[in-house]
Amino acid sequence: MKNRLKVLRAERDWSQGDLAERLEVSRQSVNAIETGKYDPSLPLAFRIADLFELRIEDIFLKD
Amino acid sequence: MADDNAPVANHAPLLWALAFVVAMFGTGFGARFAGLDGIWTMIVMLPPMLLLIPLIRSTERSGNLAGCTSPALKRYNRRGLIWSFSYVAALFFAVSVNDWLKPEGPLLWLIAVLPALPIIYFVWALYRYLVEETDEYLKLRYAINALFGLGFLLIVGTVWGFLESFKVVPHVESWMVVPVWAIGLGVAQIWQRMRGA
Repeated sequence: MKNRLKVLRAERDWSQGDLAERLEVSRQSVNAIETGKYDPSLPLAFRIADLFELRIEDIFLKD
Repeated sequence: MADDNAPVANHAPLLWALAFVVAMFGTGFGARFAGLDGIWTMIVMLPPMLLLIPLIRSTERSGNLAGCTSPALKRYNRRGLIWSFSYVAALFFAVSVNDWLKPEGPLLWLIAVLPALPIIYFVWALYRYLVEETDEYLKLRYAINALFGLGFLLIVGTVWGFLESFKVVPHVESWMVVPVWAIGLGVAQIWQRMRGA
């Protein structure tokens, strides 16, 4: 699944580590989600959406 | 924004793992070549076991650098050290008692089962890691690696079993299941690392 995580992160000038810390996950997880290697669970997707104050479908896009 | 997608190259864990394997097998073959038996083999195998400490420490450092560690993973690694050293101690004790006392009956059963107890602790530690890990990606990755190890064990065990039935290969003790599973787990971890997952 495609996502806008990298762009959203860049807008806030956050590193993957910064985002990982805010989400309370490993940097490896952020990297895997960002590069489309891993689709997050619904709870984690909601946490990401809450953090960016967006809807899930504004961050994660259908292939 | 820094491009932090690039994996951090850190070969220290691989080198320590290589040193551990070479030292363990080297000492084992050396002991056999020197005609050492029972308790003496156990004694000379102890120093290479100490290499597990820098191996686990460097693995943790590497995990920190690569951003793929968690409190649950650290606990799992600590438990790994506990069961490894307990296993060697239990084996050492069981072989020594068996050599000196030549026990029979229930005591022999107890002595024979003793080295299996740390392995049971290891299975518990594995279960606890999957329960305690809150990072869903790390948990999934470990579960995949563990299942790869299990698949590897099933294949090797089945093929070897039939080869053994047809008298093509010698008998192998069933306690080898854990090392074979661990080899599969290690291969899966290296494969994951190589593909940048």
